[in-house]
Amino acid sequence: MFKILIVEDDDALREQLEIGLMASGFEVCHASTGTEAVPAFEKNKPDLILLDLMLPGKNGIEICTEIRKNSGVPIIMLTARTDDTDMIRGLEAGADDYVTKPYKIEVLVSRIKARLRPLKEVLHPIIKIGSIEMDTLSHEVRKGDKKIALTPLEFKLLLTLASHPNEVFSREMLLEQVWEYTYKADTRLVNVHVQRLRSKIEDDQEDPKLVLTVRGWGYKAGPE
Amino acid sequence: MIFSRITKAALDQFRSSLQIRAVVYTVALSGTALIVLGGVLSVSIGNGLFSRKTEQAVIESNRAKFTVSRLFEGVSSQGSWRLEQVLDEVVQELESIGVSQTRQVAFLHSATQPNPKNLSSPTSAGIDLTLITPDFRKLVTSSVGLQTRTVQVIRGGESTPAVLIGQKFTLPGGHNYELYLVYDMYNEQQSLLFVQRTLVLGGFITLMIIGFFSYLVTRWLVRPVQEAADASEVLASGDLDRRLAVRGTDVAAVLATSFNHMADSLQEKITAMDELSKMQQRFVSDVSHELRTPLTTMKLAADYLYDNKEGLPEFSKRSIVNLHGQMDRFDLLLADLLEISRYDAEGVEPVFEVHDLNGIVGVCLAAIQPFADSKNVYLEADIPSGAVQCEVDSRRIERILNNLMTNAIEHGEGKPVVIRVAQNDKAVAVSVTDNGIGMNQQELVQVFDRFWRADPSRKRTTGGTGLGLAISLEDAQLHLGQLEVTAEPGKGACFRLTIPKRHDVTNFESPLPLSVHSA
Repeated sequence: MFKILIVEDDDALREQLEIGLMASGFEVCHASTGTEAVPAFEKNKPDLILLDLMLPGKNGIEICTEIRKNSGVPIIMLTARTDDTDMIRGLEAGADDYVTKPYKIEVLVSRIKARLRPLKEVLHPIIKIGSIEMDTLSHEVRKGDKKIALTPLEFKLLLTLASHPNEVFSREMLLEQVWEYTYKADTRLVNVHVQRLRSKIEDDQEDPKLVLTVRGWGYKAGPE
Repeated sequence: MIFSRITKAALDQFRSSLQIRAVVYTVALSGTALIVLGGVLSVSIGNGLFSRKTEQAVIESNRAKFTVSRLFEGVSSQGSWRLEQVLDEVVQELESIGVSQTRQVAFLHSATQPNPKNLSSPTSAGIDLTLITPDFRKLVTSSVGLQTRTVQVIRGGESTPAVLIGQKFTLPGGHNYELYLVYDMYNEQQSLLFVQRTLVLGGFITLMIIGFFSYLVTRWLVRPVQEAADASEVLASGDLDRRLAVRGTDVAAVLATSFNHMADSLQEKITAMDELSKMQQRFVSDVSHELRTPLTTMKLAADYLYDNKEGLPEFSKRSIVNLHGQMDRFDLLLADLLEISRYDAEGVEPVFEVHDLNGIVGVCLAAIQPFADSKNVYLEADIPSGAVQCEVDSRRIERILNNLMTNAIEHGEGKPVVIRVAQNDKAVAVSVTDNGIGMNQQELVQVFDRFWRADPSRKRTTGGTGLGLAISLEDAQLHLGQLEVTAEPGKGACFRLTIPKRHDVTNFESPLPLSVHSA
């Protein structure tokens, strides 16, 4: 059973969320202020975090940044504001996905399940792209001798691109294959995470050699 | 043709430019003044020259009288031969005295006295004796002293005024003679001409200078007016910070001060209204945001109840169904409110990507089909083969189309709804035409207004939010496109969305007609 940490300051909403998630078969724990969030994460070791952005004490973006320092745990932001700058900053801080209020429990559950689903079996256990070596069994990524820490989402994104080198993936295709959106979603999810991925694997982020932008179309993994 | 065009251009310029008009008027008036002045000067200089010459002639004639008297002194006793000899000298002597170089002499034996000795009447060479008329000779012989008369002589091929002065003499021996001196005014005439020419030239130059100065002065005067006009233009185009520089304390400074005053109060009012409008928009936005958290809780609760309603008493079950349905409607309304307030706050960031419009229309058709089926409305699609590529935010285009199709099905009275797609080199278009109740002129004007409903008495079936078309219009404008409508009561309505293929093109024509009859 997956354990989910809910960080939400509105008690009624948090309780209703807990009811919905428990009814869907998840184990839940919670934190009701920003300052409680990180200790609750360390104590409960959840498999996924639902994080409200507007919190007393410490806001969602700070919490996100802090957790990402040493954990790749899936984080889904719950945003009341579709105020894009907050949402984008949250994604840049390392959140994997976001759901805007008001949401349906089915939508939220399907987002949670998409983030918790294990990677599909791949034909070759080791995939190489440039100087990067991906071990699909241990989920380890090496650049030369250096180990690179990717979140599961970043790993899946790179794997999807690298499994088909030089094949162009549109943002929609990536949303479908990596985020498992079946319907239209925000393509900026892709843009932000490609940026994050590049910052970890590229020598020069401004001049990427591994994950290339194809203007007007999308992205592709660079030449072998 | 060209001439008349130039004249017209000059006339237009004259009418439109205050400065040119001022200069033209100044030059015309100064010109008139100069002509009058020149005329007066010319006449008075001419008169002066003429009277001086006459005075001089009179003085010289008096002197000539003494010369002649001296010549004939002492010839009394001698005979007529001696007299004749002296007579010959008279003309030569008189021609050489005095300063006037242009003097002609006639020393005539009086016609009223017999001339038995046949004494000669010597004259200067080239003198026109017809000038000395019998009338004048009679006047001279009958009077004492000098007689003066103005005549015209030919000098150097030109007619020149001259003074003719006559006086009588009695020579020794009782011979009556008349002395006529003709002083022509050729030199004076030349001087006068020279003066006149100078006056004309001087007048012309003065006029040019006046024109130039009046140009400078009017420019200096007109400039503040021009500046005020330019500033008004800038102000009207929306730059409320524009002000005029105030220099000095004259009327131009007053104009500038008043103008700035006006601009200040205008800016104040506009800023205040802007702020009020922003506050209202912010309020709507804030309220909508604040509603979202409780709404989420209510929705989650309603969903949970709905999913677990089996086994509950019938009334509870119905209540839960109603609650659940209305939560969804509340949700939609809030989403639309948020969207429109985002447009109001200009916080919309579209994602433009190349899409096939046919694909987008296909997705929308598939999504709306169940609703059309429930209303027994036949959806007819007229879609070109091949891709209709355009640079759009597909989510927004889908939203527009979904809206138009829903409206068409709702108001289509069960008759077919036609969806057309077409493209030309610059733009793509989709039209949605129904054969339903249509709209009258007044309704057409209001159709894009917020919360406006075609017929308030009509039963709502889909529970639209009333913001759909307002948002659609904003969506279309975000693409630099157009969302247009035409309708006829009882015949139906046609909505046409036209979007430029590239989202930076502004001049394009729609590839589809806007007409209810094309259905």
